[in-house]
Amino acid sequence: MIRFENVTKVYDQTTRPALDSVNLEIDRGEFAFLVGASGSGKSTFLRLVLKEDRATSGAVYVAGQNVANISSWRVPRLRRGIGVVFQDFRLLPQKNVFANVAFAMQVIGKSRSIIRDTVPEVLKTVGLEGKEHRMPHELSGGEQQRVAIARAVVNRPGILLADEPTGNLDPTTSMGIMGVLDKINQNGTTVVMATHDDDIVNEMRKRVVELRNGIVIRDEARALYTSMIPVVGQSRRLKDASGRPDESATEPGDGSVTSSTGEAK
Amino acid sequence: MRLAFILSEIGSGLKRNLSMVVSVILVTFVSLTFVGAAGMLQLQINQMKGYWYDKVQVAIFLCGDGSTAAGCATGSATPEQQDNLRTLLESPAVAQYINDFQFESQDDAYKHFKEQFSNSPIVDSVTPDQLPASFRINMKDPEKYQIISETFSSQPGVETVIDQRQVLERLFSVMNAASLVAVIIAGVMIVCAILLIATTIRLSAFSRRRETGIMRLVGASKTVIQLPFILEGVIAAVIGAALASGTLWAVAHFFLGEYMSKQYPDTAFISPAQTLILAPALLALGATLAGISSLLTLRRYLRV
Repeated sequence: MIRFENVTKVYDQTTRPALDSVNLEIDRGEFAFLVGASGSGKSTFLRLVLKEDRATSGAVYVAGQNVANISSWRVPRLRRGIGVVFQDFRLLPQKNVFANVAFAMQVIGKSRSIIRDTVPEVLKTVGLEGKEHRMPHELSGGEQQRVAIARAVVNRPGILLADEPTGNLDPTTSMGIMGVLDKINQNGTTVVMATHDDDIVNEMRKRVVELRNGIVIRDEARALYTSMIPVVGQSRRLKDASGRPDESATEPGDGSVTSSTGEAK
Repeated sequence: MRLAFILSEIGSGLKRNLSMVVSVILVTFVSLTFVGAAGMLQLQINQMKGYWYDKVQVAIFLCGDGSTAAGCATGSATPEQQDNLRTLLESPAVAQYINDFQFESQDDAYKHFKEQFSNSPIVDSVTPDQLPASFRINMKDPEKYQIISETFSSQPGVETVIDQRQVLERLFSVMNAASLVAVIIAGVMIVCAILLIATTIRLSAFSRRRETGIMRLVGASKTVIQLPFILEGVIAAVIGAALASGTLWAVAHFFLGEYMSKQYPDTAFISPAQTLILAPALLALGATLAGISSLLTLRRYLRV
């Protein structure tokens, strides 16, 4: 679903690259955590998927298509296939819950009747039935994030990108949000979530891709936030599958089909 | 659905930015009023030129019933006198100075008079026999007017010889200067309008960056994102242009029609209806200016 081939992104020639020769594949229907310190390249990764930025070198494939070959007038079509959720929710304060979700459908020209049918359904999926007419400031943080998720998935994108969606929430609320994301993932949507939240990662036991200074230093299925493997040789280690010391680490190219739900402890 | 959505976006944008929108309306109103004023002066010049101005230079008016000139002692010009004048015009001595000439009978004169003074009450009180017949002469060299004047003034049946250009040229040069000034003022005001529209659109885009950010993320097309902003500027400018057109109409109706035409009944003024031909041009100009300036602004300040 998302494939990075030797992708390098340099924002400024004088500093180190934000992403450095990243090779990574995330399959359809997968749930992957993107972890790493601030500045490790997580946001750059998400921006490249959305074609907000161009890779300096290498190729980014989204749904089988090299995003570099998508002309600017077709970028909206690419973005319709990708839902995005942020740490700060980004709801429209003067619109109620229903209108916030409906907005995502209106702007791409969906008919009123389809909107009327779809929005309540999606709000139910995220656990907000009965709150259609609340304004954002009348909702808790967790509820606001649920609205944001509903808006991100209302057009049924194949991919959901979440950029630290639980960064502003307490642990209990965060777990609720993770439940929603997991449910969306169960319905077949590929979910990529950048996060700092070790509790969540440890709880979910999904694939974990760890970045450091723009380099993928770990890519494990059903992993924890911090590696149980001593890191040696940094990213080059992953290219040499035979030299890998631990069988739970998966090769980036094989798509980590072993990672699935239900195995979380 | 998308249209309704765009319209509601425009409405909310106009409401949120009301004071800026009002200033855009006023600036385009003033600038386009000056553009229109220049246009009206040119229309007025054309009106005053009448039927003959661009075709001939010199007019030989023949005696009519009430003529008191020395050559008109015998009353109205007779057919023989007309024939004599015609022969004289065709004679080599005169023909070398003129390209051609036309005879305007009293009925022709009445017809042309009615056209030129169609907006003036004077047209009802004039009959064909009050208007003199004339020979209208197109000169090879307009400077040689004196020769024609000397040759024909003393002929029997000729009331007077007039060089129409000399009478009107001075007035027209004043009016042309006035319309040049109006165009210069309009130019400065249009620059103001363009900059103000650009600023307004920038503010509008800034105050709605949350919405546009979300629109980009969920894959709204460039048109859906940008059109509300562009139309916001265009609508404000078109309202300004409509006000300018209305003002020009009011000037033609109340100032020229009601006041000036009574003060100067012997001058042909443009009608209010004639100013309305300027309105589509002003509307198109306003819309184009606003559209282009908001499009350029959006390219810099609204990422899509």
